Amino acid sequence: MNVSVAEPSAEKAGLHHPLEALFSPRSVAVIGVTPTPGTVPYDIFYNILSSGYRGTVYPVAPGKRSICAVRAYRYVLDIDEPVDLAVIVFPANVVDKALEQCGQKGVRAAVVISAGFREVGPQGAEREKRIKEICSHYGISLIGPNCLGVINTDPKVRLNASFARNMPLCGRIAFLSQSGALCTAVLDYARHKQVGFSKFVSFGNKAGVTEIELFDYLYHDSLTDIILLYLEELRDGRGLIEAARRVTGGPQPKPILAIKSGRTPQGADAAASHTGSLAGEDSICDAVFREAGIIRVSSIEEMFNAAVLYAYQPLPEGNRLAIVTNAGGPGVMATDAAIRCGLSVPRLVPETMEKMRGALPAAANLKNPVDVIGDARADRYLAALEAVAADPNIDQILVILTPQSMTDIEAIARGICKFRQNLKKPICCSFMGAVDVESGIQLLQQAQIPHYILPEWACEAMAHVEQIRQWRLQPRGEFQPLPVDKETARRIIDAASAGYLDEDQALAVLQAYGLNVPPNKLCRNADEAVDFAKSVGFPVVLRIVSPQIFHKTEVGGIALNLADETEVRIAFSEMWERIGKVAPQAEVRGILVRPMIPSGYELIIGAKRDPAFGPTLMFGLGGIYVELFGDVTFALAPIDAVAAGRMVRQVKAFRLLEGARGRPPVDVQGIEECLVRVGQLVADFERIAELDINPLIAGAGPNGNVPADARIRLA
Amino acid sequence: MDRNEVERRVVKVVCRVLGVEPEMVTPESNFVFDLGAESMQSVELVAAFENEFGIEMDENAALEVQNVGAAVDFIAAHLK
Repeated sequence: MNVSVAEPSAEKAGLHHPLEALFSPRSVAVIGVTPTPGTVPYDIFYNILSSGYRGTVYPVAPGKRSICAVRAYRYVLDIDEPVDLAVIVFPANVVDKALEQCGQKGVRAAVVISAGFREVGPQGAEREKRIKEICSHYGISLIGPNCLGVINTDPKVRLNASFARNMPLCGRIAFLSQSGALCTAVLDYARHKQVGFSKFVSFGNKAGVTEIELFDYLYHDSLTDIILLYLEELRDGRGLIEAARRVTGGPQPKPILAIKSGRTPQGADAAASHTGSLAGEDSICDAVFREAGIIRVSSIEEMFNAAVLYAYQPLPEGNRLAIVTNAGGPGVMATDAAIRCGLSVPRLVPETMEKMRGALPAAANLKNPVDVIGDARADRYLAALEAVAADPNIDQILVILTPQSMTDIEAIARGICKFRQNLKKPICCSFMGAVDVESGIQLLQQAQIPHYILPEWACEAMAHVEQIRQWRLQPRGEFQPLPVDKETARRIIDAASAGYLDEDQALAVLQAYGLNVPPNKLCRNADEAVDFAKSVGFPVVLRIVSPQIFHKTEVGGIALNLADETEVRIAFSEMWERIGKVAPQAEVRGILVRPMIPSGYELIIGAKRDPAFGPTLMFGLGGIYVELFGDVTFALAPIDAVAAGRMVRQVKAFRLLEGARGRPPVDVQGIEECLVRVGQLVADFERIAELDINPLIAGAGPNGNVPADARIRLA
Repeated sequence: MDRNEVERRVVKVVCRVLGVEPEMVTPESNFVFDLGAESMQSVELVAAFENEFGIEMDENAALEVQNVGAAVDFIAAHLK
């Protein structure tokens, strides 16, 4: 079978992305095909043939004359014509040989379907390393191994290089998945929902091409409007976030919806600090995905519900929803769900209600949610829809239908499809039920009007689209390093060995980075402590400093509110003596003396070097409430002032900081600056593994944000 | 049985089971990559070698053998 070579569509448009050979190859060799139907190697070849691929396909099957009546080749090197893409289905132990020949042949991209690599243990990992090296040596873009394959529905390409049973419909949604098995389920589900795809990629072990390169390709792909990602393992979290920001925040932004499953167990040492225990990969993921404009969802259903709404309907101009229903109960439920999701269900303007009054019965509810009453037929629905669509207070519409004996379901569905043709605002429907409403749902889906069995799902989808809209409106900042005394910080850090810095050293590092550290001194005797206390003024605090004493309170290593010289002298001597008894092994470096900090809100600023994301920053309600409420948020460091502002506003405690219940507001801008400075610090010094400022005391007025305790752990 | 004889009969079996021409088969030929053995055919090959030479081989060890030359060595060792 020698089909004429198609010109890949993207090349016509002048695009020469490295992944073009993967998605729009002019020719494909399927390497390791067998003549046995029902096996993966056969099915992949058969799927390419039967999907109507527009290029040329070559089966490579040593010892076979032909496969499916197509002349077979012993080796890829025996093919006379150039080959853009190789799909390799050989057993794992000979994939390296096949790739070596692909490299010699000049193949530009390869999809390794075969399993038996990293996922099976050390021997497989060794094989994977080997094929990675071969691909990198020859410059082959590698998808897989251990994957389902790649699909491109572009009518100019039509490539189904996968063992998914059916070619999906053509659409504007790209789906990327680390799980191959999930892909087949998603394809089947999408077919049922009549949802089409632009590109469909299962990337398996991601030994070569990862979601990061795929994001870049799909951002430039004119046939893709929205990207869906199912991810199990984050290897380069920072790279992912940076690539996602380019996609969601570029000049032609495209949304990304992602499911990130699988939670990495945290290293035992990471749980030593507050930040360590709170900053698990999953909670960091939530926050940094949000900051990159990635909408994290928890199920395939939720993902498609939102994707379809975005892909098929115009973006709304706001979050104001009109609900048109023939049943009161579902209308109220939908209203509750909408408000819970952050949408509003506003009052309609009087003209809208006036327009409906003539067309609807007296018993109808003309207020939002509009109830056209149970016996409504298509005419009433349409009258209400015409009226609410023209209402200036309304940005989007949800139609709810319950199947009652007189409800002409198909006529209403047809009416909505027709009405939608001239509608500038997004509309979606919830025809509640299963059997009776099925024909109406089919009509809606064919017309690309999103349908949801439950109105709550519709609201959730609209809320996700609202998130996309809000993200695009969000101001973007750029990190500008603040002037800091990096040299002093470097001297302290370079001189210290791995482990925790002494408190005075940690405070000195923070001071060098411009935080409002109170004056402090490490004293070796009571006279020294008294002199220093006099110089800074009473009351003061004493804090034991010893590398072996982590929890100071437990050994009586803190004395607060010492009002005069005598109190300082007594507290100092008692503490020194007590520590000698309770912790005789501890090497006491001294007792830190500093002024008592006036009370304020206790906040936490933390930082941690995450294996996937690199330096990350944490902010939230601190002190004893940290673990109790877990009211914290995360961001990648360094951070710009705008993002710091968002971070501060993401925690529930922000309302306290603004000045709740008559208390004066705190210096929020100062807190933001602290975050920028700490972010800069952890980004500057790779050795900082963890950092906790807990509490940061936030008081009223300028310079009100004072670190009362600081821990820095060096690697 | 000398090694040449073992090799001659191995090639004969390989050609019969895998349906390949004798000129395709060299000592370096990889059963899967060069001769196109499918997984079931690899099992058939092991059985055919056992019949041909009247020996019993450990199946897992036999399936580890990847090319014709190694198969000749493997069988020759069993015949000793």
